[in-house]
Amino acid sequence: MLVDSPFIPASALEIEAQKSLEPPGSGPAFGRRLATLALRGGALAVFVGVLVVFSAAAPFFLTIGNIGNVLGQSAIAGVLAIGLTIVIIAGGSNVVTGGIDLSLAANMGLSAAVYASLVQAGQGDGVAILGALGTGLAIGAVNAAAVTLAGIVPLLATLAVMNVVAGLELVLTQNTVVPAATDFLSALSAGGPFGIPVLAYILLGFTFVVAAVVQYTPLGLRLYAVGAFPDAARAAGLPIRSFVAGSFLASGLCGGFAGILSVSYLSGSTTGAGDMLLPVVVTALLGTVFSRRLVPTITGTLLSALFVGFLINGFQLLNISSTLVSGVQGLLILLVVSATTLLGRKESI
Amino acid sequence: MIWINGDDMTDDNTSGVNRRNLLKLTAVAGVVAGSGLLSARTATAEDGLSLKGKRIGISATGTDHFFDLQAYNAQIEEVKRLGGEPIAVDAGRNDGKLVSQLQTLIAQKPDAIVQLLGTLSVIDPWLKRAREADIPVFTIDVGSVNSINNSTSDNWGIGKDLALQLVSDIGGEGNIVVFNGFYGVTPCAIRYDQLVNVTKYFPKVQIVQPELRDVIPNTVQDAFTQITAILAKYPEKGSIKAIWSAWDIPQLGATQALTAAGRTEIRTYGVDGSPEVLQLVADPNSPAAADVAQQPAELGRVAIQNVARHLAGETLPRETYVPALLANKQTVGEVSKKLGIG
Repeated sequence: MLVDSPFIPASALEIEAQKSLEPPGSGPAFGRRLATLALRGGALAVFVGVLVVFSAAAPFFLTIGNIGNVLGQSAIAGVLAIGLTIVIIAGGSNVVTGGIDLSLAANMGLSAAVYASLVQAGQGDGVAILGALGTGLAIGAVNAAAVTLAGIVPLLATLAVMNVVAGLELVLTQNTVVPAATDFLSALSAGGPFGIPVLAYILLGFTFVVAAVVQYTPLGLRLYAVGAFPDAARAAGLPIRSFVAGSFLASGLCGGFAGILSVSYLSGSTTGAGDMLLPVVVTALLGTVFSRRLVPTITGTLLSALFVGFLINGFQLLNISSTLVSGVQGLLILLVVSATTLLGRKESI
Repeated sequence: MIWINGDDMTDDNTSGVNRRNLLKLTAVAGVVAGSGLLSARTATAEDGLSLKGKRIGISATGTDHFFDLQAYNAQIEEVKRLGGEPIAVDAGRNDGKLVSQLQTLIAQKPDAIVQLLGTLSVIDPWLKRAREADIPVFTIDVGSVNSINNSTSDNWGIGKDLALQLVSDIGGEGNIVVFNGFYGVTPCAIRYDQLVNVTKYFPKVQIVQPELRDVIPNTVQDAFTQITAILAKYPEKGSIKAIWSAWDIPQLGATQALTAAGRTEIRTYGVDGSPEVLQLVADPNSPAAADVAQQPAELGRVAIQNVARHLAGETLPRETYVPALLANKQTVGEVSKKLGIG
C-alpha cells in the first residue's frame, strides 16, 4: 500500500492475487489475517496493559491529577512529534529517503533561547512570542528551501540545519541558562481547571486543531496523497513541492511553539535541547502503530507521546530504579516497532 | 562545587548575597570553616534518628559524575538505614526530565524532598510548589530560599586551604596564573576571594594579568590551549610558579599542557576531587600539586539526617557545611581512600 514498498516480482504478486481470491477462513490467508489483527491490536493492547499494570500497582496512577501531569509533561515532546508527523505524512514514511525533520529539537532550543533572551532584554511577551514563532518559521523555511529548491534528501538537509541551529543557540546563550519569568509564562506552567496543568489543555487543544486539519480536510487528504503516492498526486495535478515545503514550514512553526512551552516549563531557556531529538523521532515513528491503517496520524502521535509519558511516570510511581527506565522503554519500543515492521511488510505484499 | 555542565554554575543572587554577607560578618574565614567542621561532626556523631514509615523523595539532577553518584547512593542508603522508604529519581542531566520528576514527586506527596544540584532558576519554581504543598524541601549544594536546609561544602574553608597550600608550596613568592571565568558563580567567587585574601599578605606573590577565563564545555582542551600560550609568553623557568583554578577540570587541562611542554616545575591547584585529577596529584612526577576534594557521600548522609531532624521537630540552620579534604602529594592516598576511590 505504500509507495516506498520493496520491489516485488510479478510472480509473487500473482501468487498473492490467487491467495486473496481464496475464501476467508481457509488456510494461510486466514492465519495471516489473524496475525495482522493481533499485531494491529498489539500496540493498543500493550498500551492498555501498561496502564492496567501501573494502576494496579500504584493506586495513585489513575488519578486525574496524575494523568493531567503526564499530559502536561508530554506537551513539549508531543507538539514536536506532531510537527514531525506532518513532515513524515507529506514526505512519505521511508525513514531514510522519506520525510524527516531532524532540526526540530534544535529549533525548539533556539526558539526558547530567543524567547528568553528577548524577555531578558526587557521585551514583552508579545514580542517574545513573535520572536520564537518567527525563529521556528525561519528554520522551517530554510529546511523547505534545502529540500525542495536544492533537492537535498530531508535526512541530510535537516541534519545540516540542525547543526547550524544548535550552533546559533550556543552563540546566543553562550551555553548558559537564560532565566525568564513573566506572568504569561507562569500562567502557562500553572495548574488549570480540575487541577490539570495548563500545558495539558494546550497539548489536547493543539492536537485537536492539527488533527482536524490533517485528517478531516481536503488539504489533509492531499498531504497524505503527496507523501504516499507522489506519482498519482503529480498526475492529479497537486503541487508536490509546495506541499512538502509547507510541511516543513508547519513543523518549523511547531518547533517555535514548543520553544515557548519549554520556556514556561523550565522558567527560561536551558541547554541540552538536542537531547529531545531521538525521543521525538521515536514518538513520531511509534505513532503509526496507534492508527487503524498503520500510517502516521496526528492522534496516533498523541497516543504515542502519552504512552512514553505514562511509562516514565509509572516507573517513578512504582519506585523502579530510574536506571532501568530507559532500558525497559527501549525494549517496549523495539517490540512495538518490530511488530509494525512485520505487519507493514505483510501489508505491502 | 562546580560541575562541568554548569548545573550549579548559576546561583541564586539572594543566596550569593547571604553568603557574602556571612563572609563579611565573620571576616575570618577560619571561624566559618571551624563552625562548619563542628556542625558536620555533630551530624554524624548523633544517632537515634529515625525515618520509620516516612517516604523521602530523592531527586537527582544526574548521576553521571562521581560527585552525583556518591551523593545519590549515600542518600538512598541513609534513608534505608534510618528505616524510611526512598523514592529516588534521576533526571540524567536533562532539565525537562528534572522538572517532570519534581512535578510527579510533588503529586506523590512524600514526607520530604531532597534535591541534589540543579540549575536554580529551573528548579526553584517547583521547589516553591512543593513548599506550597506542605512538603519540606531540602537541598544539596543548591542555595534556594524554598529549601529548609542546604547541605554544602564550606567554600571559605576550601578557598583558604587551597590558597595556603599554594603560597607555602611556592615559598611565598612568584607569579601565579589564575583561571577566573566563573566569578559569577558563588562558590567560585568565594574560593577566588579567599585566594586574594591570602595572597594580600604575601606581597611577592603576583597574580598574572590578565586573568584567564575558563569555559564550559571543552574545558580541558581550552585550558590546555590557554596554558600553552601562556608558557610561550613566559618561556624562562621560574617566571611562572603556579596555576590556580576554582575547580579541577581546568586544572586537568593545565596540568596536561605543563607535562606536554616539559614545564613540570610549575604546580597546579584546583577544587572538586575529580578522580582523574586526584590520580595526577598522586603521581610524584605530575605538576598537579593539590586538589581540594568535597565529600559527596557525606553530603548525602548529612542531608538525610537533617530531614530526620526536621521531621522530629528540630530547628535546622540555613546551611550545613561538610568539610572538604585537601589532597596534596602527601595526603592524596588517604583522601582517595576516604572518598572510596581506587
